[in-house]
Amino acid sequence: MADQLYLENIDEFVTDQNKIVTYKWLSYTLGVHVNQAKQMLYDYVERKRKENSGAQLHVTYLVSGSLIQNGHSCHKVAVVREDKLEAVKSKLAVTASIHVYSIQKAMLKDSGPLFNTDYDILKSNLQNCSKFSAIHCAAAVPRAAVESSSSEKFEQSNLQVSSETPANNELTTNGHSPPTSKQIFQQPKGIMGMFASKAASKTQDANKETKTETKEVFSTGNKAPGKGNVMSNFFGKAAMNKLKVNLDSEQAVKEEKIVEQPPVSVTEPKLAAPTGLKKSSKKAEPVKMQQKEKKRGKRVELSDDETKETENMKKKRRRIKLPESDSSEDEVIPDSPGDYEAESPSPPPPPPSPPPEPVPKTEPEPPSVKSSSGEKRKRKRVLKSKTFVDEEGCMVTEKVYESESCTDSEEELKMKTSSIHRPSTMTVKKEPKEERKGPKKGTAALGKANRQVSITGFFQRK
Amino acid sequence: MFSEQAAQRAHTLLSPPSANNATFARVPVSSYTNSSQPFRLGERSFSRQYAHIYATRLLQMRPFLVSRAKQRWGGGVQVKKLCELQPGEKCCVVGTLFKAMPLQPSILREISEEHNLLPQPPRSKYIHPDDELVLEDELQRIRLEGDVDASRLVTGTVLAVLGSARDSGKFVVEDHCFAELAPQKPAPPLDTDRFVLLVSGLGLGGGGGESLLGTQLLVDVVTGQLGDEGEQCSAAHVSRVILAGNLLSHNTQSRDSINKAKYLTKKTQAASVEAVRMLDEILLQLSASVPVDVMPGEFDPTNYTLPQQPLHPCMFPLATAYSTLQLVTNPYQATIDGVRFLGTSGQNVSDIFRYSSMEDHLEILEWTLRVRHISPTAPDTLGCYPFYKTDPFIFPECPHVYFCGNTPEFGSKIFRGPEDQRVLLVAVPDFSTTQTACLVNLRSLACQPISFSGFGAEDEDLGVLGLGP
Repeated sequence: MADQLYLENIDEFVTDQNKIVTYKWLSYTLGVHVNQAKQMLYDYVERKRKENSGAQLHVTYLVSGSLIQNGHSCHKVAVVREDKLEAVKSKLAVTASIHVYSIQKAMLKDSGPLFNTDYDILKSNLQNCSKFSAIHCAAAVPRAAVESSSSEKFEQSNLQVSSETPANNELTTNGHSPPTSKQIFQQPKGIMGMFASKAASKTQDANKETKTETKEVFSTGNKAPGKGNVMSNFFGKAAMNKLKVNLDSEQAVKEEKIVEQPPVSVTEPKLAAPTGLKKSSKKAEPVKMQQKEKKRGKRVELSDDETKETENMKKKRRRIKLPESDSSEDEVIPDSPGDYEAESPSPPPPPPSPPPEPVPKTEPEPPSVKSSSGEKRKRKRVLKSKTFVDEEGCMVTEKVYESESCTDSEEELKMKTSSIHRPSTMTVKKEPKEERKGPKKGTAALGKANRQVSITGFFQRK
Repeated sequence: MFSEQAAQRAHTLLSPPSANNATFARVPVSSYTNSSQPFRLGERSFSRQYAHIYATRLLQMRPFLVSRAKQRWGGGVQVKKLCELQPGEKCCVVGTLFKAMPLQPSILREISEEHNLLPQPPRSKYIHPDDELVLEDELQRIRLEGDVDASRLVTGTVLAVLGSARDSGKFVVEDHCFAELAPQKPAPPLDTDRFVLLVSGLGLGGGGGESLLGTQLLVDVVTGQLGDEGEQCSAAHVSRVILAGNLLSHNTQSRDSINKAKYLTKKTQAASVEAVRMLDEILLQLSASVPVDVMPGEFDPTNYTLPQQPLHPCMFPLATAYSTLQLVTNPYQATIDGVRFLGTSGQNVSDIFRYSSMEDHLEILEWTLRVRHISPTAPDTLGCYPFYKTDPFIFPECPHVYFCGNTPEFGSKIFRGPEDQRVLLVAVPDFSTTQTACLVNLRSLACQPISFSGFGAEDEDLGVLGLGP
């Protein structure tokens, strides 16, 4: 019966969960009018005391009324413990209201915890704080979303992000480097596009910095659905069981994980571990992945504290990530016919990949994850350093994007986003992959300095 | 009053739940006009001298004082300027007072090397028996003696003195008078009880946990969450809430970044950031239910000089979604349901408190009303914008409710003027220390304090609740 249900609920909250149940907390939790919540609490107290007089219940009441003080009639509103109730009541000249304020198992020393309980439940219900109250004001209408969105753009710079559409972000993220905007416009259409924008909008709630994260979200969002499709092709492969589990869980909870992903990837330039792995670590997973999860958690906290570092990391991140995201998109969108530099068949050195160090870490983990869909040659834009002497006779080193030819297999070296999400990085053959594993570890330390497009370039030249 | 009206309905909450719970509609705003336009500053230029404000003040007040003087001392009294004074001749002079106070902090004296003065610690009162009064008009000044109490008067007051000049060059005063109350338009009668809640000194960010519960209880009463049906019904008659300054606590003003080394303060946030966030949440709760006017105060993030400009809406992203939130100036003037309100956040009154012997804030409030000037000590000891065209602090007309915030205790009084004006004076106490707010009944022009309390570990008696014997 609905009547008895609330009694059980209150019983559970008070005795089992040992919570402090204030009328306001109960009102929000059960979704009832505040007066009804107060009556429910009273009813519960009465019944509990009737059945079991030794019940360990402490009740606080709210008493209000008028009192003659210093010559004027003062209206007093007080929260009192049960034992003081009668005394306070007797002092008041006129009692305006008495009702139960809260019920809790333990005796409260002071009213601080009551405030905390109310404050917490209020924080989580800020948008409809007067929904269950007894007074409704006709004039208090939130301004139309249109008006408020213009003020939200203003607020974005203040790091106050309420729920916004991706469109807003695109408009406000000025100063983007071209590849980013290209990425945004090249979002996969159709389902994947929908998915990406959905993922993006979800992310907005969690994002603090919109710039890089927008881009990252879109890029990972792009990869996610694509990868999922291709992944299913590889289910028959050996030792893919774990992956299956991972994938299923991922499909189910992709959105939440994508939310976590950007802050993680932002804070972690060394975040080699494919985020997909991390995501899959949510399910029952090997310890290593769980450790990664913890690390990620820590890093997310770090990102909250050290925004400056984050920004710096992000800046570094940006340059590194871009080419990878570009390359991953090759599956979905062909590379724009840019300047195709006729270079030697051997793939040019890969762009500096930050994760060389973490790569060996991740490698032992699901080795079966990596696979490539054939060794296709693709053109992509990579970040390269060009050194030249300018007109003043000074040597200048600049990082520029150049369209270069490279193989897909190089993409697996682009750490970051989960290889699970990138079908392009999945290798059919395990042997060449394992070979690459070795050299990967070996050349991990060299990293940026080598200027290789991929680690396999080392092989192919020979 | 509020309590009696609230007690009229039956108590229903100590009973099993009933299916229907009453919801009350907030009394709609029948009429509201914000008349604080004179206190709004547009382009500000500080390249002017402050002498202009005194000149315009005297110019504006002179006609009022002359008429008052004629009323008081007869139509035949001669009103003269200081330059026209003849020794021994009894006449009336109108001018601005200046009080020479040796204890008044003077930066020039402090840094002057010949005096070798150490910086003085702040005192609660700077008056001294040796204070002297000087009357200044447009061209000259003259020392005042006689039947005038220097300790009660402050610099910047414009008054009329009756007496005669002596050969010694001093003016001996026999009597003096102020401009008294301005004319007042009668308020239209109301048929239902409507209340306006005045609160000041919320003091957020001050670290005092006790006052937070009180603040929450206040918000709950006004928004109709707390109390029985009777009280909620009465609370629905609160048509407006005015927050009169000092929303942030004094503690949020500490500027570690100045005193401490940069590496210690690099990642720290100003205390006011968190406090403003809390304030935003409180304002959100309030403005979702009742029209709110927020006045800045001494410790709030706005300009220091009077008139203080409204707080910027960007600080309240959640609350500004509601049009019921209004950010207004200090001093604030508005007509709510036909009743004229005028009030400040208390800086004017506390400044006069420091430089005169008057002790009661309510008394000082009344005195400013009689002098017809909101803050005579500006710009001498209270920061003020260098006006030159008009002095906006002169009362153009008499309000019905005149309040000041952040007083140490609640006070309220009905003051009657010479032309049958009726003003409700309210000294709104500092909420963070007294947990008391004021409810003004617009129909009867009466004010009732409303106070909140929780319970603590140490109050085994009811003293804390104010309910002791």
